Amino acid sequence: MVLDDLGSSLRGTLDTLRGKSRISEEDVDKVVKEIQRSLLQADVDVDLVMDLSESITERSLEEEPPGGTSARDHVLRIVYEELVGLVGDSTPIPLEEQTIMLAGLQGSGKTTTAAKMAWWFSKKGLRPAIVQTDTFRPGAYEQAAEMADRAEVDFYGEPDSDDPVQIARDGLAATADADVHIVDTAGRHALEDDLIAEIEEIEGVVEPDRSLLVLDAAIGQGAKQQARQFDASVGIDGVAITKLDGTAKGGGSLTAVNETDSTIAFLGSGETVQDIERFEPDSFISRLLGMGDLKQLTERVERAMEETQDDDEDWDPEDLMKGEFTLHDMQKQMQAMDNMGPLDQVMDMIPGMGGGLMDELPDDAMDVTQERMRGFEVIMDSMTEAEMADPRSVGASQIRRIARGSGQPEDRVRELLDQHKMMAQTMQQFQGMGDGDMQRMMSKMQQQGGGGGGGFGGMF
Amino acid sequence: MFDGLKDKLSNFREDAEEVAEENAEELADQPDDEAADTEAAAADSAPEDAPATADAAAPATEPAGEQPDADDEESSAGFVSRAASMARGRVVIDEADLEAPLRELEFALLESDVEMSVVEEILDQIRGDLVGEERKFTESTDTLIEDALREALLSVIDVGQFDLVDEIESASKPVTIVFTGVNGVGKTTTIAKLARYLESEGFSSVLANGDTYRAGANQQIEEHAEALGVKCITHEQGGDPTAVVYDAVEYADANDVDVVLGDTAGRLHTSDDLMSQLEKLDRVVDPDVTVFVDEAVAGQDAVNRAREFDEASAVDGTILTMADADSQGGAAISVSHVTGKPILFLGTGQAYEDLEPFDPDALVDDLLAASDD
Repeated sequence: MVLDDLGSSLRGTLDTLRGKSRISEEDVDKVVKEIQRSLLQADVDVDLVMDLSESITERSLEEEPPGGTSARDHVLRIVYEELVGLVGDSTPIPLEEQTIMLAGLQGSGKTTTAAKMAWWFSKKGLRPAIVQTDTFRPGAYEQAAEMADRAEVDFYGEPDSDDPVQIARDGLAATADADVHIVDTAGRHALEDDLIAEIEEIEGVVEPDRSLLVLDAAIGQGAKQQARQFDASVGIDGVAITKLDGTAKGGGSLTAVNETDSTIAFLGSGETVQDIERFEPDSFISRLLGMGDLKQLTERVERAMEETQDDDEDWDPEDLMKGEFTLHDMQKQMQAMDNMGPLDQVMDMIPGMGGGLMDELPDDAMDVTQERMRGFEVIMDSMTEAEMADPRSVGASQIRRIARGSGQPEDRVRELLDQHKMMAQTMQQFQGMGDGDMQRMMSKMQQQGGGGGGGFGGMF
Repeated sequence: MFDGLKDKLSNFREDAEEVAEENAEELADQPDDEAADTEAAAADSAPEDAPATADAAAPATEPAGEQPDADDEESSAGFVSRAASMARGRVVIDEADLEAPLRELEFALLESDVEMSVVEEILDQIRGDLVGEERKFTESTDTLIEDALREALLSVIDVGQFDLVDEIESASKPVTIVFTGVNGVGKTTTIAKLARYLESEGFSSVLANGDTYRAGANQQIEEHAEALGVKCITHEQGGDPTAVVYDAVEYADANDVDVVLGDTAGRLHTSDDLMSQLEKLDRVVDPDVTVFVDEAVAGQDAVNRAREFDEASAVDGTILTMADADSQGGAAISVSHVTGKPILFLGTGQAYEDLEPFDPDALVDDLLAASDD
């Protein structure tokens, strides 16, 4: 994730301030050096890093901490505010008819991002269409067509044309029925004058409501020059960061938003069309400072619940909030959890679970947990309808039968029953909350010590 | 592509030279102006004269270029002491005085995308070369700084350079070259360029599309093959990349083709299953040369990727693409340092001809030429 190392190193440095009420120049110097280091390692522009660290130093020493505030909280607040100021808001993307043009360097991931964004819009109830204007790179048409197919959205391209401007014009006309037009362009870089002129021409025809710069998370200091040139040519309204599932930190995006006076719109983190998220500054900063990412977790949970529900009309997650919590419910919850994506990604968003705590877990902890969940699924498949509805009735002989039937050890079956019991108790606590508002549920869990990974708290 | 770094290096040199100069004035034997002038004039011919007049005392003017294998210890004790016999003056540089210029150099390197740990290594080496013990110098203190910088840069970038064409020439045919790297760095384009380059050197080649994953990958490489007039082996999407490359080797064997250029799907180094697929390819095909492809615009992460790919399938050399998009060049320094393997070519444009052999000596000369202007 963007800058996630800053989170842990910053927490470490800030911890040295714990218990101090006054802050010395030396303390601030140490914190600022750490921040500089993290930001530079994240590929944030050097000048930008200097500016940022200067204002943190200045404010930490000059501003009087409000009464009762510890030195640590004082500095933390300043760092938070400065980072929020740097990152800015998320690029506004209204859910209405619009045309979006994508621009960026070769290989930054424009075509994949176009398909992901189209998928995102379609999930929001709009009808998107992708117009592919890359006539240069061999195979670009086929790639875009297939990605559009995977995203199940409209597509326009001309495999044999060599006039991107004409394709853009024809494409918009041919997909006039669509609500959202996403215009993909060929990769180019700031120093290719003829290609820069070409994208200016495409922009003239397309008249996009917003142009997004697609940036590889791994881009280095060159991000500044590239962003500046694209902004001067077509006007950049937002940045989409790609390949965040690697180890690159994406600091180039901060440089780019600073340079183009724009904001971050989307984050891409995988090869399937679903691997896209809206950028949320709150989430971003919270996660950065090790405070979890409630908002994104909530969105993921809700999306996963809907998907699970789509698969099975009879099941409503709201039912969890009333009546008996059965193994059926647990099975659904596990499916929903599965739909949320890889467990470690999800865990990273849970307050108290991400950052520091994740660092302490063994590397394969998530795999082990996921493995266990698979085991549970197999076991549940071997249980009868009555057992699923009333797991408390399952006795020793049934456990033996289920273990044999599922090929799982008896202990694993008992574990499942214990797990269910614990979850049933947890669910009972939540039933008093009225509606199934996930955000409230999550913040309630946070108050309960922050360590619980939802209903699956006992699994870790 | 290295212009940015070049400018920044010259700033460091000016400041560091000033420090050295100041210290030298306090300690040197105060040669009068006239003497200094004549010696400076004579200095132009010094490089040729040096070995002749002082051959027993080791050549003073050719630093690391001649000895890429010199280990770290040797190079940091380095050239300065070798220069002793030619001394014209003495200088002791205090660490504190050098801190400001070194910090400037640190940021210059970071701004040029050199990875942080590599930056630290370069700084350490320069510090070790310049700080402390009394240094004698031959021409002026400026050469101390220049040589220290040259030595430090060469020690990270000059890592057993070899000529790919020579390798192919001497190896038994067909020579199998496999290309690895993350998504979107330009592996397929590079393969097409290299096929053209090898053709101009008199070698025939066959392309193998080991990217059985990405949408449009077959079409992309087939179009290139058609444009270049070379054979391309592809399988269905979703097939086994190892089998594709294997087939291409069989084809090359049967048809007397010199080189097999095996493409692979771009993968992030964090994807365990794809990285083990790469390991399998490496094991089964056992390529003669594995080329890691990365883009010159990559930042600090270039090092992580290079390391992971090197681990999965040992890298023999690197090709950096999009060098024309980047004025920094730090990725070249980081990647060759971390893999311990040379940069073979730079990709410098979108045409097939835009592939240039990389020469670390020429690069360092060029980087250091800036302030001589």
